[in-house]
Parts: sequence; C-alpha cells; structure tokens
Amino acid sequence: MGAATGAVGLDVDRDVYRVGVDPGSPYADAVEAKPALTAVPAEEATLGSTADLLVREVRTDGGDEPVGVIVRTVDTPKGEAAAASFEEAVEAHNERLMAAEPNGTTAFPVTVTLRYASRGSTFEDGQTLGEISGTDDGSGDGETDDTGSDGGGADGGSSETGTVDGSVSGDGGSGGAGDGGDGDVVSDDGSAGTGGDGGDSDGGGDSDAGGSGDGVDGGNADSDGNDGWWPFGTDDGPGGLAVPSIGGGAFGADLTGSPGSITPPFPFASLVLAFAFLVPMNFLTQAYGSSVLDERTNRRGEPLLVTPLSPTEIVAGKTLPYVAVAVAVTSLIALVVGGGAISVLAVLPIAATFLGATFVGAVFARSFKELTFVTVAVSVLLTSYAFVPAIFTNVTPVALISPLTLVVFDLQNESVSVGEFLFATGPTAATAALCFGLGLGVYREEDLFTQKPVTRKFLDALAVRLSAVGEGVRESTPTGIAARLPGRVRGLVAVAFLTACTIPFVFVAELLAVAVLFALPVTVSIPVLLVVIAFVEEVAKSVHLYAGFERGVFARTDRVALAVGSASGLGFFLAEKATAVVQAVGLTELYVGRAAFGSVAGLTGLPPLVLAGLFLAPLALHGVTASLSAVGARRNRTFYVLALAAATLLHAAYNFGVVSVHG
Amino acid sequence: MIEVAGLEKTYGDFSAVVDSTFTVEEGEVFGIVGPNGAGKTTTLKILAGLIEPTAGEARVAGYDTTEPAMRHHLGFLPEESPLYEEMTAISYLRFFADLYEVPRSVADERIERALDRLDLDHRDRRLGDVSKGMKRKVAIARSLVNDPDVLVYDEPASGLDPVTTNSVLEFTRELRAAGKTVVFSAHNLYHVESVCDRVVIMNEGRIVARGTVDEIRERHGETTYHVYTDVEPEAGANEAETDVGDAEAADIGTAEEVGDRYRTVVPSMDAVDRVRTAASDADGTVVDIRTREPSLEDVFLDLVGRPMPGRRRGGGSDADEDGDTPEGRVRDGDRRERAETSTSGGAE
Repeated sequence: MGAATGAVGLDVDRDVYRVGVDPGSPYADAVEAKPALTAVPAEEATLGSTADLLVREVRTDGGDEPVGVIVRTVDTPKGEAAAASFEEAVEAHNERLMAAEPNGTTAFPVTVTLRYASRGSTFEDGQTLGEISGTDDGSGDGETDDTGSDGGGADGGSSETGTVDGSVSGDGGSGGAGDGGDGDVVSDDGSAGTGGDGGDSDGGGDSDAGGSGDGVDGGNADSDGNDGWWPFGTDDGPGGLAVPSIGGGAFGADLTGSPGSITPPFPFASLVLAFAFLVPMNFLTQAYGSSVLDERTNRRGEPLLVTPLSPTEIVAGKTLPYVAVAVAVTSLIALVVGGGAISVLAVLPIAATFLGATFVGAVFARSFKELTFVTVAVSVLLTSYAFVPAIFTNVTPVALISPLTLVVFDLQNESVSVGEFLFATGPTAATAALCFGLGLGVYREEDLFTQKPVTRKFLDALAVRLSAVGEGVRESTPTGIAARLPGRVRGLVAVAFLTACTIPFVFVAELLAVAVLFALPVTVSIPVLLVVIAFVEEVAKSVHLYAGFERGVFARTDRVALAVGSASGLGFFLAEKATAVVQAVGLTELYVGRAAFGSVAGLTGLPPLVLAGLFLAPLALHGVTASLSAVGARRNRTFYVLALAAATLLHAAYNFGVVSVHG
Repeated sequence: MIEVAGLEKTYGDFSAVVDSTFTVEEGEVFGIVGPNGAGKTTTLKILAGLIEPTAGEARVAGYDTTEPAMRHHLGFLPEESPLYEEMTAISYLRFFADLYEVPRSVADERIERALDRLDLDHRDRRLGDVSKGMKRKVAIARSLVNDPDVLVYDEPASGLDPVTTNSVLEFTRELRAAGKTVVFSAHNLYHVESVCDRVVIMNEGRIVARGTVDEIRERHGETTYHVYTDVEPEAGANEAETDVGDAEAADIGTAEEVGDRYRTVVPSMDAVDRVRTAASDADGTVVDIRTREPSLEDVFLDLVGRPMPGRRRGGGSDADEDGDTPEGRVRDGDRRERAETSTSGGAE
C-alpha cells in the first residue's frame, strides 16, 4: 500500500485541515509549513464549511502590530484535531525561527550537555526493572547543601545527569532536596555552573509524583512531570504499562541542545551495522542444518561412525568449516563497517550458539520439514536474543546480556571491560557448548538413523549422560572420570554434574526473562519473574531425572528418586555458587550482574549461624524441590508434570519470601 | 578372530538380539541369515562398534567392540551405501584413508588395487553420476582402505545385477583367500551357501541353527523321496497288511500326476516300500525314485516357520517335475535333487 501510494504521489497526511488565516499573518507561514494544514484566506473562510479553524489576529485600533490572536474551531473532533495540529505547527515554526537566530544565547538561554554514566541499583515503586533510582533524580553531589531527604543515592547525581546550568538545576522533589547536577556545568555564557539549588524547579524536570527529587538530569528534562532521561514507564504514572521509548526525532541522541530538543540516545547507525553481523548467521544455519540432516536421512554419515574418529571429532570436522566461514564473514563485515576485534570476538559466541542450536535441531529432527521449523525457530529466537537487548545499549546495562551490545559499543568506539565482555559472551558461549554436548549425546547410530520423535531423542540425549542408580537397572560402560568412581557414587555424581551443566541454559533463560519483563512495572514484573525463574530452575533440575526413569537408568523407587533428587539439588546449588566466580572479574559491578548472581550486600554483621543458614537455605530448597519432582518423575509423565508444578510453586514461594525479607 | 558371548540388545521392551553366542575363525567367511527383524543387522552393527550391546560381549581382533582401537582392524559395509555424491571415487576413498591415517602413498596403492579388482570404471566421475553397482563397489573399496583383518558386510550384493553380484561374491572369496575374516549377511540364501564356510540362522533375535551349510542341512533338514509310479498307488492298500491304520497310510501321501506318471513324495525308505506295494496292488510299478536333499532355504523356512508365499513343501504340488515353482521362485542352486535310485520297471 505504501509503495502504491508513493508511486502515484498520494500523501494521506496532506491538507487534512483547512485553516482560515490572513496571508500576511506570521501564522500563515506556520500553516504553510505543516503538510496536514492548508491555508484558506481568512476573508473567504467560513467556519464549519470552508474552514475547520479560523485564526484572527487582534489589533488595537489603528495599530499594525497584533496584540493577540483568537483561534476558533468547530466543536467537533475534527475541530479539536485541527487545533492540536495548528498548535504543533506554531511550536515547530517557533523552534525553526529560534534555531535560525544567529544569537544562540538569545534563542536558547538554557543549554544542556549530556554525559552518560553508570547508574545505581535499587528499585523504587513504580519503576521498571530497567529503571534505577538514585540515578536519574539528580541527587547526590550537587554543590548545594541540601539536607532534605530526596531519596537519592549518594552517587546518583554524578551519573547521567551531567551538566546543567545552575539556574535550572534540580527540582524540588518531595524532600526538597532535588539538587543539581554535579557542577559539571556548561552555560552558554561560558561561566561555570554553580550546581543545583534544590527546590528550584524552573526549566527542567520538575517534581514528579514519585517524590524523588528530580534534578535536571540531562535527559528529557521535560516539563510533563517525567523525570530524567530514562524514558521508560513514567508517562502513565507509577505502575502503568509503558513501551520503552528509544528516542525521538530521527533517532537522534543529541548531546547538546535545549532541554526540549534533547532525546534519549539510540545507537541507530551502530545498531543497523551490528545487525549486519547477524544476517549471515541465518544462512549459515540453513546450510549447516541441511548438511547434518542430509547425512542422517541418507545415512551418508554411517561409515564415519565406523572409523576410529570419535563423535566429537566427527562433529568438529563437520562444524569447523562453518565456524571458519562465520569468522571470515564476521571479519569481513567488521572490516566494512568499521568494527574491531571486539566485534569479531563478540559475534563468535553468537555464531557458535546458532550452530550449536541448529546442530541439536538437526540431530533431533526427523525430516527437513522439522528441520525448517527448528532453523526458523533458532533464527528468530537467537536473533531476538541478540538484537533486542542491543537496542538499549546506551540506555540500560540489561543490554549487556547480548554479545551484540559489545559490537554496538565497539562501533561507537566505546571501551569494553573484561568483565563486560565475559558477562555478555560467557552465557552464550556456554550455551553453545552445551547444545553441542546435548547433540553429541545422541550422535550414534541408534539415534541418528532412526525416526524417533524429538521428545524421545531429547530424553535419550539426557539419559545417555547418566549412570545407573538403584538395583536391577542396566549399567552402561562408564567412561572418563565416571569410570574411576565407585558404582553407587557414579550415578549420583552424574546426576549432579548434568544438573550443573544446565546452569548456562538457566542463566540465559532467566536473562531473557528479565529482558522481556523489564519494561513492565515492578509490581507486575517481579512476581512474574520470580515464578518464571522458579519454573526454569525446576525444569533444569528435574528433566534429566525424568529421562533417567523413562530410559531405565534409574530404578523406579522412591528411595532412588529421593537420592537423585537430592543429588540434582546439590549439583544445582554448587553450580549456582560457582557462578560467584564472576565477582572476581567484576561482573557484579554491573546492575544485571548483581541481579543475576545475587549479592551478599546487607548480610554483614549477622551471626555466623544465621549466615550459614542463609547460605545453605538454597541448598535445602533445591534438594527438596528436585526430590519432589523426581518422586513424580519416577511414576509417569503426568505425575512428573504435577510434581514439577508443585515444586515450581514451592520454589516461587521461597523466592517471594527472600525478596520480601531483603526488600 | 571374532568372539561373541551372550550378546543381547534390547530397545525398550523389544529384544533385537537374545543371548547370541558364536565365534568366527581367522580367514573364515561367516554367514548370518534370517528373516527381516531376526537381528542380523543389529548383530553386525554391534560387531562394527556402531551399537553398544545391552548385555554380553563381542570382541573383534582381540578388542571389545566398544573400544575405538578395534575400528582400525575392521572394515564395514552397511546395507545401503550412500556416498558423498559430489566427490569422485578416488577422492572419496582418499578421504576415508585419511580418517584411518593411512599414508597417502599406501592409500593410493590400496585404492588402485581394490578398484582394479572390482573393475571400477569412471573413477574420476562424480559419485552422484555413477550407477548403483559402481557405488556399491566404491563402498566395498572403502571398507578395505585401512587393510582390515575383519570385514563385516551387510547384504553386500543387495540390489545388484547378476554380473555385479557374482563379481562381489567372487571378491568375497578372494578376501578369504587373502586371509581376511568376513562376516556376511544376506537375504539371498544362495549367496550364503555359495560363499560362507559356516552359517548361523537367526530368528526373532535368537540363533536357531549353526554350523556349516551341510551340517545345518543334515541336522535340521529333511530328506524326501520322490517315488514315480506308472499307476496311482492305492492309499489304503497296505492298511490290512501293515495294520498301521490311517497314520501310516497317510505317510504315503497323495500321488500327483506328472505327465504320464504319478509322483508320491515320502519321507523315508519305509514309506517308499509302502508306495511300491501300493503301486503293485494297483497293478503298477515304481519307475523312478529320487532323493531330494533340503536346501538351506528349506531348512531356513522350517526353522523360522515362514513359508514363502505360493510355495508349499512336502507335496510340492506347485512344482513341476524339476521342482521349479510356477513362478520360478526356486533357483537352480536351491535344487539338490538327484537321482539316487533309478529303477526302470524295478518292481520286485
């Protein structure tokens, strides 16, 4: 439709409203500049018939200069719309006139320069998961000596608020402590700023209903009660749903200008270029998946399995050419768009995950029809996972869950710390490795060349990694480390290890949940998130137990169920704690790092016994819930589903309790 | 060279191989026959290390079949031989030789020798463009690139024309002559009989017979006697004389008119005597007696209990004088009938 209208020169937005205006009036220029408006000579215009709106300037008797203007519209919705459009036209006209003014100081007495920095970590009512208090309230290190309680964090003011002219800095806020920026002020007259003076609410942001003292924080600094440059969830007031804004105008992220013209940053150019890195992946997965499935359906791969090569070597040999292509294409794209080594290194885990997920799909799929579904699903999900968070690269640290965010940083010539790099790429790389590991579990004759349903192959892939537990079950030949362990221990260690291996999947799934939910108000997103996280973790702890019972690796007794459930809970607990290693690389300095890995903040000063209890409480939780699921799994699928639901609810209740206690 | 003991393979509740035990000596061609679903291919894949047994043990060239080192001593030809169709025969075989870490010069020599022996033409043509027989030959050559001690061939002549089939069978004999141990499965029992030194017959996962072809025939087969008379023997003629009643009378069976003679098929020489008496009672005489030894197929059908469609055993009413069925299902090699006794007017 758009192409068609464009081709015939139609513009549905043109000349919608007729405005009666004197051709000599300055308002005529504003009307002319607005495509939706068409000017009609005021003398000939009749309201309601030949005009939707009339503009008449009021002059004193004999005077040439107008002293005012009267705008009349018909009392209809169209009349109201015409008035609104006319108002926009006049405002835009004024902006243009001021922009054309050679004396900028006269036109724009207030200039704001933005400087973005990291933000704090705590939530406030009405905020979204991506919105952090104490940062955009402008409080903190303003030079004024406010003593009121503005609720701001100590370091907030120095964050994104940047520079403001002292004359407009800060707004009152509920505690009257809205202070200015950090004194990094650039005023148009060249004088240094003086920092904010709390309570003065002219110009920039003013007090909002939330009560936190808003400084003119460099962002929108708008006059509609919204605070800060953070664009999310405030238009509807606290608790309302809001689609994250990614900036106005032509995706501009002006760093200098009048408060009204400044928009949030949106790395449009970098993002488009970063997307170019993802496009080849979709073709790569098609070729790779077809190749793997072709060997299966035509049994061309069977002779390879008879050679001395291990399945890992065969798959590596099959995959490496595609990895090489990915590296070459990524490097070429980086060369073209101006990316560096960071871009290439960041895209590789994405490529590996594309290939890993496709490999699993191709090993599980029974036909090219199923493979098509798999590759499309992989492409959509991974492209979304990589691309959507990257949109918010300059807005929120949540963006760092995607390696593509690093590419955007790289294209913007921004530095990336080791911690950020590991945080963004680690889960993706681990997920890729686990995808290949899962597929390799069934990379054997009995599964590759049979037409088992995907679910059965999935269970096979899990069960093959387990060892027998209980009496009367078959013990397959143990290999590797498992061969060195006593029989009874071997099975439980295998369970714990397999559970631990799911941590990257869990981590990525939970981050994805955070990314999906963070635009929602906290009152909605937190409960949903806690339940989702509980479900993800319970599935991770129990699905292989179900596979073990279904495939006869575990004896179907409650005793065995409790044993493997406890082992699974222990494995999950240890793996979860092992992620604390990220603190060593500073990931918890990131907001999402803290959200993902937890924090021990606030626990200091507690008695050792209490600390030990708090430390071990998750172990008890994971053990109990995994055992519950295992007891259901040892009976049949229906019981497993019911037990899993119960375990999820129990886990979610625990999560709610922890959140409530910690606030 | 191959030792299989108590081998079992189950898929859920289904037992593909049950308590299978056999050995194969060095330089022997060992056949595994059985109907579809008997467990032949599963057994061969276990020997090739493709499938892990549920229970029991299989050792090839001194290695457990689950050990990767075993594969250096093994060449495997699956039932189907899809190849990488973009490659030529030479490049394909070199690729596999590389996987076995065979030095290029040695590999080239082996490849050349195998392809020469198998009369493989068009070696530089894309494998996607060559015939099925050529592909099969390339697959056979592939099984030899690592110069294995043991060759496991699953239906090596499946779907090939007679000329190529004979070529493959002859090549198998040459492998034996060269000291290779070959385990061989086939649906065509003639192929098995003509190539294999020893055979096991499998049915429903179990080995139901084993030994040389002759041993199996002797042990499990049933020699029958075809008695030709110039009159139709009177079935009840001996009843009063022998006082054995209908059962023995039934031993004589029903005479079948073949040309101007009557053929009665009986299982023993005693029964032949009774036919002779019956013919004499009808004022006739025995004109010919032939013994018919069971073919491997006969034994096979007896053991697995699945008669082929359109073929009845014993009376042989579908067969003509030479034992061929009207549809010609019985091949020349299946006939082991010979004139043991030929009595022209030999009535006593």
